[in-house]
Formats: sequence, structure tokens, C-alpha cells
Amino acid sequence: MTKNPHPITVPDGRPTWHRALNALEPAELSAEIEPLTNGWQITLRALPQSGLAMLKIRESACAEPFYLGETPLSTAWLTIRTPDGLEAEGAAQVMTDNLEQARTMAICDAILSARLPGHELVSTLVGQGWQRCQAADQKRKAMLTATRVDFSLLDDVGESHED
Amino acid sequence: MSYVAIKGGGRAIQGAEELLEYLRCEQGEGGLPLDLATIKSQLRFLHGRVMAEGGLYHPDLAALAIKQFMGDSLEASFALRAYRSTKPRLAETPCLDTGSMRLVRRISSAFKDIPGGQMLGASTDFSLRLLRMELLDESPERFQEVAAAWLKNMPADQVPDTFPKVLDHLRQEGLLPQVDIPEGKAPFDITREPLIFPVPRSAALATMSRAETGSLLALAYSNMRGYGDIHPTVAEMRVGYLPMLLPHPISGEAMEVGEVLITECEVVAMYEENDSGGTPHFTLGYGACFGHNEVKALAMAVLDRSLQKGMKGGPANPSEDPEFVLLHVDGIDSMGFCTHYKMPHYVTFQSDMDRLRTTQQNLADHKGQEVTA
Repeated sequence: MTKNPHPITVPDGRPTWHRALNALEPAELSAEIEPLTNGWQITLRALPQSGLAMLKIRESACAEPFYLGETPLSTAWLTIRTPDGLEAEGAAQVMTDNLEQARTMAICDAILSARLPGHELVSTLVGQGWQRCQAADQKRKAMLTATRVDFSLLDDVGESHED
Repeated sequence: MSYVAIKGGGRAIQGAEELLEYLRCEQGEGGLPLDLATIKSQLRFLHGRVMAEGGLYHPDLAALAIKQFMGDSLEASFALRAYRSTKPRLAETPCLDTGSMRLVRRISSAFKDIPGGQMLGASTDFSLRLLRMELLDESPERFQEVAAAWLKNMPADQVPDTFPKVLDHLRQEGLLPQVDIPEGKAPFDITREPLIFPVPRSAALATMSRAETGSLLALAYSNMRGYGDIHPTVAEMRVGYLPMLLPHPISGEAMEVGEVLITECEVVAMYEENDSGGTPHFTLGYGACFGHNEVKALAMAVLDRSLQKGMKGGPANPSEDPEFVLLHVDGIDSMGFCTHYKMPHYVTFQSDMDRLRTTQQNLADHKGQEVTA
């Protein structure tokens, strides 16, 4: 993975880290993070699990909640102890069956939250992931912009087709 | 002919399965297996439909199911739902507001100038249904050029991250009743509880969200054509990506664990007099499902409104009857019941034949007695 030559402003905080790291290829992320953890003692706080999450939304007619359906979910929660004696806790939940991805994200979560050795690299990865999120958002916005309806043109020529 | 136990069927069944696998690969040296990314991208509407009807937003496995069952949407969603039944439920999201969707399409047939504007997104609404013969022999180069050209000319205008809902605008105008957000009311979970009528509206919405598109459409169409009087106007149709949030295990902050493509539709129906003499308001119907499937979301919204009417005043038409609608729209249930008739019914049919022959013989005997008399 190459370093980003054009740094972008990345909002700080866990919600951003997780969305951004989630945008990276899991294998890429793992390849970057694994070498950092050499010699670290990683203890599971909870058994990593792969299963489902139920998606609950509020419908907009009467504001009633209902279940739209399920998605895959993998979870990891762990504690890291570095050879220098630094300790940190990290956790992650990811919409995937890939337990390894959740574990890697939990390690990143711990590194960033406690600024463990390697947090600069993980911050760079967050930046790269954030850039991908921004690119996806931009593409979606372009889909809207390119197809925006200009009703004023219809009004000008008296062709307003109203049923 | 009499009842005969099947022997040797195992070999035939194995042969049938091998033959099916052969047909999947029949192109042989001239073909390549479908890759999941191609299915997800080029068969996106089918892909979304399978996820919705399977009740599981799992893009990779939905693509696999489509590949495995060679495009049979019912079988594919059946396999997806079977898969989900083997997995534990780890979490439930807080009640998410679809106002946070990252939209790719947004239209209204109620107003031209909706707050934020109308954006058609990718749509066939205004396309001629004519075959594009040039796609018969589409080169990979031409295929890739189309994508590259669109991205190159992508407009860079700024649009907001989210858009206000048309219904909120109508509420501000006093045309819709104000709603109180119910606190602590757990929705009905159709994956864990059977539908025993009467069921709450949340059960109806969840059932229709994973219903088969054609079934929903048929029942909604019956209402539209005259067996009902919903007369819907689409207040808003939205397609976009809903960020899926779960609390972080340590901090409790709402974290985005992924995003889900959904279609959402709100319809305004005929206004209703207020029984207690209050202000009359328009009534509403709501539809939503995984993937980009506007027919399903709109049909669901019509049925939601018709079911509300039926629940309140008693059903006057099939589409207003919760039991009739909700027990007949699930594609996997109905497909399973339908196809079970292909399975051996030798004993029951033998019984039917015996009874028919006895009846025929009785009739013949009776006629013979009449002639003799």
C-alpha cells in the first residue's frame, strides 16, 4: 500500500476510523497491520464471533420501528500489551463474515485510541480509506447532479405535464 | 397399478444433480465461470432482489446463490435464507433513520419542486423498451470505455450529504397528522415468531420487505385496478445507501459497520375524515426493501396503506386482508408449497383413483338397476 501523496483532512474519532478502515481491502489492511504486532501480547476480551445483525429502521408514515432484514456481522474485542508495557483495548464490528478483518480492525482501534507505536501508519491508512469513502460519496453525488431535473425549463415553454 | 416403493431413485437423483452442474458449465472451453463481481455489478437488480427476498443483505453470498442456481431468483433467495438460518444473531441496530441515506436517486410525483430537488439517478423510467442490438456483440474495450467516459465527465457540483423528506414538508403544511415516536415498542420479529393474526403493522412491514416482488405487485395491482381505492401518489421514492450503525463495544459511540443499499417509497393516499371531529388529513403508506427495487417498494407502500385500512375497518377486498396478503406473498413459502406437488404423491393419488373407480362402479351399478327396473 503506498503512502498518500495528497493528505486530506480526516475528521478525528472512532466513527471516522472505522468507516475509513472498512473501505480498505481486508487483505491490504492485514498485510500492513500484522508486522506492527510482532512481539505484542494480544488477549481476547470476548470470543470473536461471526453471525448476523438485525437492521431496524423507523418507517416514515407513522414513525413505527420495524425489521428490514439482516446483514452479516463479525465482532472482535481484544487487549494489547506491547513489549514496552503499554496496554490498550480495542474492538470492532464489521459487516462481513471475515473474522480476521474484525480482528485487524480491533487492533487498529486499540492502536489509535491509545496512540500505541505504529499509530502514524494506522492514521495514514485511515486517511487512505477516508479518501476512498470520499470518492464513493462524490461519485454518488455526481449521479444526483447529472440527473437533476430542471423544471424551470418546462415552465418556460409551457410544457408542464402534470397529471 | 398399486403402490410401489421407490428403489434405485438415489442414482437418478445423483445423476440429475450432476446434469444440472453440467448445464451450468455447458459452455465448456468456450466459456468462463461467472465471477461474483460481474453478477453484483451487471445483474444488480436481480442481485438486490435476491438479497431482499432472502432477507439477508450479503452481497457476496447473494451473487454466489445467483451463480449456483443459474439466475433462478426463488431458489437463490431460498439458499440465502437457509444460510441465514444457520448463523447466530449477534446484534440488533438501534432504530435507524432513513433520512441519513446517501442517495443516488430521489423523485416525487406529488410536487415538482421538492426541497432539495428531484434527481432521477439511474432509471429506465423514460427509456424506450427497445432492444439495443449493439450489445449483442459488445467488446470488452467498448464496455470499459463507457465506464471510463462517465467517470471522466462526472459533474463536480456540490450536493448535500442528505436530503429532507417530502413527508416532513407535508407535515409542516398540516396536510399529514403529526406522529409521536413510540418509545420502547419492540417490533415484531418474523424470523422468530409465527404470524398469528391479528399481527401488528411491524410484522406486516417486515413480511412485505422480504416478500416476492411479483406477489406483492399482483396484490397491489388488484387494489390499483379497482379491487380497492388507495389511489396512491408517490410523495417520495428514494434509492440510496443507509449507514448501518451499531454501538462500539467499548465507548458505546454509534459506529458505521457498513452500508446497505435500500429503496424506500412513501405514498400519499386519500384523505380521511377524523372520527372525533378533528382536522382531516391525508393517509400514508410505506414501503422499503434491500437493493434497488422500485416496483417492490411502491407495491409494498400501496399494500401497507390498504392493510391499515383493512385492519381499521375490516377488509373489503383481498388486498385489505392482512391474513390473505401476508400469508401469500413470501416467495420461498409459496414456491416451496407449489413445487412440493412435483414430489411423489403415489399413495394419495392411488387413493383418489380407488375412490373414483368405486364411484364410477357405483354409478354404473345404479344405472344398471334402473334399466333392469
